[in-house]
Amino acid sequence: MVSGTGTAVVCPACGEAAGDGARFCEACGAPLAAAHGTGPDGADSADPSSAVPGSTDPGPAPGDPASSGAASPDPAQSGAASPGGSPEGAPPAGTAVDGASPCPACGGDVADDGYCAQCGARAPVERDHREERAAPHVAGVSDVGVRRRRNEDALALGAVPGPGATGGQAAGSSPGEDVSVLVVCDGVSSAPDSDVASQAAATAARDTLVAGAAHVPADDAAAWSRLLVAAGHAADDAARAAVDDATARQDPPSCTFAAAVAGPGLLVAGWLGDSRVYWLPDAGTPEQLTEDDSVAAELMADGMSRAAAERSPQAHAITRWLGADAEDTTARTVATRPGGPGWVLACSDGLWNYASAPEAVADLLRDAVARVGDDPLALSRDLVAWANASGGHDNVTVALARVPGTAAAGGGPADPQDDPHDDAGTAPTVRRRPPGSLPGEPPTDTGPSAP
Amino acid sequence: MATFRAEVFQNEFLPDGGTDVHAIVTVSASGVGGAGTSGAGVAEIVMIDTSGSMTGPMLAAAKHAAQVALDHIPDGTWFAIVSGSHVAQRVFPYPNAPVAIVQMEPAARAEAKRAVARLSAQGGTAMSTWLRLADQIFATQPAVTQRHAILLTDGKNESEPRDQLTAAVTAVTGRFQCDARGVGERWQVDELREIATALLGTVELIANPADIAEDFRSLLAASLSRGVSDAQLRVWTPQGGQVLFVRQVAPTVEDLTARRTTVTPLVGAYPTGAWADESRDYHVAVRLPSKPLGAEQLAARVQVAVGGEVVAAGLVKAAWSDDASLTARISPEVAHYTGQAELASAIQEGLAAKAAGDEATATVKLGRAVQLAAETGNEEATSKLRRVVEIDDEEHGTVRLKRGASRLDEMALDTASTKTSRVRR
Repeated sequence: MVSGTGTAVVCPACGEAAGDGARFCEACGAPLAAAHGTGPDGADSADPSSAVPGSTDPGPAPGDPASSGAASPDPAQSGAASPGGSPEGAPPAGTAVDGASPCPACGGDVADDGYCAQCGARAPVERDHREERAAPHVAGVSDVGVRRRRNEDALALGAVPGPGATGGQAAGSSPGEDVSVLVVCDGVSSAPDSDVASQAAATAARDTLVAGAAHVPADDAAAWSRLLVAAGHAADDAARAAVDDATARQDPPSCTFAAAVAGPGLLVAGWLGDSRVYWLPDAGTPEQLTEDDSVAAELMADGMSRAAAERSPQAHAITRWLGADAEDTTARTVATRPGGPGWVLACSDGLWNYASAPEAVADLLRDAVARVGDDPLALSRDLVAWANASGGHDNVTVALARVPGTAAAGGGPADPQDDPHDDAGTAPTVRRRPPGSLPGEPPTDTGPSAP
Repeated sequence: MATFRAEVFQNEFLPDGGTDVHAIVTVSASGVGGAGTSGAGVAEIVMIDTSGSMTGPMLAAAKHAAQVALDHIPDGTWFAIVSGSHVAQRVFPYPNAPVAIVQMEPAARAEAKRAVARLSAQGGTAMSTWLRLADQIFATQPAVTQRHAILLTDGKNESEPRDQLTAAVTAVTGRFQCDARGVGERWQVDELREIATALLGTVELIANPADIAEDFRSLLAASLSRGVSDAQLRVWTPQGGQVLFVRQVAPTVEDLTARRTTVTPLVGAYPTGAWADESRDYHVAVRLPSKPLGAEQLAARVQVAVGGEVVAAGLVKAAWSDDASLTARISPEVAHYTGQAELASAIQEGLAAKAAGDEATATVKLGRAVQLAAETGNEEATSKLRRVVEIDDEEHGTVRLKRGASRLDEMALDTASTKTSRVRR
């Protein structure tokens, strides 16, 4: 800042000289204060990702033994970014009112209605950028993205101490013994209140998985699959109950479901819709464990290439989902036995829109590890930032769990009889709605609209 | 306790590079209570034209109407009667009375009726003097904040240049509200419209003098139902934003844009006058610097302020999108009232062209009016237009000027031109 020196301030937008201490350019109205503090980029209030300040992660640091092993972290306490925190270096002198954070775009006051009183920029809300860490090796980030107005993705994570870790040793449980739980739900943007439904669903599924994990034999793939199906039903119940009048609505809130449980030597995923779980081993072939319930997946099943199918107009139309208008809410499940160390990644389409094939996701993660190391929260942030830099057309959610792998178990699918792909009870018929009525389509945010 | 509500109807989605945001804001008041509820007091002044042209049945009807009005002014209400010609005179309280305005009570009512009965008609018409006298009378009771007047005339404002009337209207604007009534067919619609628009009142044609009394009764009833003496519409726009226009669009079209007063550098206030239990629609248009696709911001905060306090607010938003299905949609409310505002000007311009002998322009304008009235479902305008033009094709606005259309029909169309039909919801 140059105020008080008598030096003329020049508007970064139009070059007009501005008065000392002026917060806005008299000529073009561009905010000057933010520009002083953050450079010209700081003046761009349009980019929600830039409007979200650097996250503050109150969760435990990686490798911090005192705080690891929490079975069911409270999402409210686990690493949510402070809403609307001051951008680094911004000089919002005397602007904060009642403890409210100043507008990240211009440094002005944020009014009660959630918009800046000076420039009208929407103040970021907590849900726009959420970070969560369940254990040193289990973390994730959910972000509104660049183009959407609301984050309808939801994330819930858990880490259950392995059977080997008992009593006082719980705090020292290692990834090798823990069961990691990842849940991602993507609210259907065309249905109002799907953001509420998705969070309720994710939390309910996570709670079911964490509670059930204690009673499931670590290597029983069929039992884990049943637990995932139960988690899907619990999530569906929660999604249906998310708003009181859900059943009365023509377009009730709904969401996808993707969950993974990763225990020692066994990885099981369950899903409805097009949120995904990938297995990305350090060495070996990366896999997409889930198989989207979407029109694109059907096209691929009919022989269309992945690239062509995912570009098709109906690609994002999902054929199964959770919510009051969902007919079939039994999650499909798949189990695999990691042969070595690697990462389980659960994500919404906000990520895989830009990297869909498992090889592409694996490359992405490898690059991220090279950039930021192997902390799952840092990696999640990095992948979310990458998706936003790639366009950020949708909400982006990334959850990662580190799996050390077991020398004992060989790679490949779990016992065939446990593979629910072949189980009539858990592989129901895919339902496709008439064109135009699919909740996932079109893949654009219609948002709240004037009648 | 008066409650205000503001509801916003808009399509907030703008295409890439889009800058203009339009919204209809419906402001509703409820639980207002009658005039004087606030305790500040209510004043009514009735101005009766006593120029020479009123002589005969017209004056008799006007006197009767004024006496009926006196019956409908409740005890306790401040009132005065003014007679107007090329000069204005206070009729009651009597010119020699020590006070210019008194509170109604039975004896005052009886005496005021006697004063009205003695009115006689002579002289010309200079309405500026009437308005200025009414303002002076109101000003003698500065604590009485709810001030309403009725102006009745039968003729053109012939005894003074137009700019003298305009100057008086400007001088008294904001000091009292005034409904203007023209009886017969010799008065000028544009003159009374200028008065009523500036003074937040209505203008009406009374074709038959016998109907004046009923009209006065309903005017007083409306005025006395207004328990909120003055409300402001406030519009906040963001730094770098600009108000294109602020227009009341229902129940009548009134452009408020030029009547902005500054509250803060970002907030302007527009007068709306007194409120009863009612709802009015406003069209607010704002221009913003364009933002990148995906950006969302507030385009305007539209607030209602009573006594300097904001009592209701609505948010007008802007969101830039590359989805043409979102950005191409026009809010039905905005479309409806844009059409209604154009209808009002098409009627007024068409009649002005006809009066000036420009039949080609008149035909085109009134044809467009017929088309707009049909499109926006304004049946009152359609039926009034029918009396002035022969409609060949409503949908395409093909019309012929009606030979021998009466002046009264043209005046009725003109005075009603600003009345809008509410959007169907």
